[in-house]
Amino acid sequence: MAAVGWLESILAGAVQAGTVFLIASLGEIYAERSGVLNLGMEGMMIVGAAVSFIVTNALGHGYAILAVLLMGLALGLGHAFLTVTLKLNQIVVGLALTILGLGLGGLLGNAEIRRRLILALNPAVEERNLIVQEAAKLPDIPIPVLKDIPVLGGMFFQQNALIYLSLVLTFVMWFILFRTRFGLALRSVGENPAMADAMGINVFITRYIAMAICGMLGALAGSYLFIGYQPFWVEGMTNGRGFIALALVILATWNPLRAVLAAYLFGGVETLQFRLQLLGVAAQIPQFLLMLPYIVTIVTLTLLSLESVRKRIGVPAALGIPYSRE
Amino acid sequence: MLGTAVKIRVERRLELPRRTSAAISGLLILLSFVVASAVFELLGVNSVRTLSTIVSVFLSPTSLLQAVIRGMPIGLAALGLSLAFRMNFWNIGAEGQLYMGMFAATGVVLLHAYYGAIPEQLLFTTMILASFVSGGLYCTLPGYLKAKLGVNEILPTLMLNYVAILFVDFLVYGPWRDPKGFSFPLSITFPDYARMDGFLGNASYLGLTMALVVAAIVYVLMNWTTIGFEMRVVGQNVDAAKYGGINLLRTTLIGSFLAGGLAGVGGLIIVSGLIGRLRPRASPGYGYTAIIVAFLAGLNPWLIVPASIFFGGLLVAGEAIQAALNLPVAAVQVFQAIIFIMIIVAEFFKRYRVTIRR
Repeated sequence: MAAVGWLESILAGAVQAGTVFLIASLGEIYAERSGVLNLGMEGMMIVGAAVSFIVTNALGHGYAILAVLLMGLALGLGHAFLTVTLKLNQIVVGLALTILGLGLGGLLGNAEIRRRLILALNPAVEERNLIVQEAAKLPDIPIPVLKDIPVLGGMFFQQNALIYLSLVLTFVMWFILFRTRFGLALRSVGENPAMADAMGINVFITRYIAMAICGMLGALAGSYLFIGYQPFWVEGMTNGRGFIALALVILATWNPLRAVLAAYLFGGVETLQFRLQLLGVAAQIPQFLLMLPYIVTIVTLTLLSLESVRKRIGVPAALGIPYSRE
Repeated sequence: MLGTAVKIRVERRLELPRRTSAAISGLLILLSFVVASAVFELLGVNSVRTLSTIVSVFLSPTSLLQAVIRGMPIGLAALGLSLAFRMNFWNIGAEGQLYMGMFAATGVVLLHAYYGAIPEQLLFTTMILASFVSGGLYCTLPGYLKAKLGVNEILPTLMLNYVAILFVDFLVYGPWRDPKGFSFPLSITFPDYARMDGFLGNASYLGLTMALVVAAIVYVLMNWTTIGFEMRVVGQNVDAAKYGGINLLRTTLIGSFLAGGLAGVGGLIIVSGLIGRLRPRASPGYGYTAIIVAFLAGLNPWLIVPASIFFGGLLVAGEAIQAALNLPVAAVQVFQAIIFIMIIVAEFFKRYRVTIRR
């Protein structure tokens, strides 16, 4: 019995840890499907986490998520301006954005700056909210009846609002991508922008929209990491999760539905590693277990390079190449 | 007033005089000071004091020496990157290669200290060689995947960073932990002859010498040798390289080995020049800063050395700011990122002429 309970809690933990990756990779899928590689994901996430830290303590969860979405929108559009309009190298811009995000995250999380910003947002805030290193966690919303289903109940029906939202988003974003005209336009812009342009699709606007979505979801993923998963502020708390999300997009072969599985798999690895450490099982194992997502990614990339696999799956052909009408 | 149409015309530049190029770079770096001040003020941080702390680092000899030694791991990694980027090999993995260099250098010291292998006189030379080979081999893996199977190198090099960091974590938490170290995750301290301060009393001098020698080698290699020429052709046009009979696999392997190897030696400087032992997370992102440095210097090996000292100075300034103004090191990171973005934007203005007409 105890073993079953342990497994159930691991699976529920996999969903909780995996949702960070899921939300971020949904955004990244849209960006990459439109032909833009966003290496700034890590930066967008940490800014999202830091903003939700401040705004939750000042005004509560609702405003925090709103602020995070606006911040992400700004970062996404900034990336698009540099890479789509100015046609600058996407790798370099993405890295710059990540470094900027990590720096901004560190500044925003600083005790003195945070205090000033919280007071500016809400002068009547309780003294306690100005100093704590944490914020209220999003409440779990158990769904009646469904929550009692063994295993699945714990995984999907006793979670917080952002986890439910991530599941809905997965289906909606899959539907838009593969079943609507906009989705077709988005994919063709990433596949063959010159052809898409000739067919009357505005390549630039499409990529701007994709990056706007990507920025908002990237920041939201960071926000979930903080208020939905580990509501305790640590500088650099994203700890490479943004880059894992990039890896996951490849593992999911640019498909939102497959991203769910890949995200929970990575989330499961993370959870399992924590649990094993708690149990004190082989102190040496965690590092090698933690290497898994990265190694799996490299292997996947290698497999994807085989021509036969590549054709079947459909890697966006114009990924990483700025479009110019000349 | 609002009714007047403003027309912005963007034309591709046909030629770019050196002076214009330098003027654009200078202007945008100046602008990054302005933007950084604006960001700092927006967050309620005294920008004048922050920026003057940064400038003052370069004015005192003691802190300047610190800037030099902090800059050298960055500089060596950036010299390696300049080779890789010329070859159009997007190595984002300098960070991991630094860690593999630290691993090998420390391994040599432990072999000597635990088993008496390698005589004292040869120890430092062996450490240099080991860190070079270790970092180099680590970079040839993505190089091989790219040249042989066409796997894009960006994500593999990035992913290998985390693998290397975790590998070093494993060593210092596990088998390489100092038995007398009260179970802190630290290796034993290196003996004096394995450290760089022996030369003129400060590690900076040896570090700077190494960087200048490497810069000269990189310059000669890229401009005067066949392999350097082949690497540049591969970078400019892969198809032309194939037609011209260049062995793509061989060139990519050599190029990526050299690039990773130089970052590996940068790792040696971290353990031997800066810390004097191995510890987890010993590099605060030197490998990423190296990318900024390589771009700031326009991939020119001679300019990489001063550029890396500048960024080493920013790191020293970060600590000074933390102590004096009680601000996180992140303030410097924001400043770095803004400089980086300005350098990239400068590229746009170097490629295109923008004119505004009413």
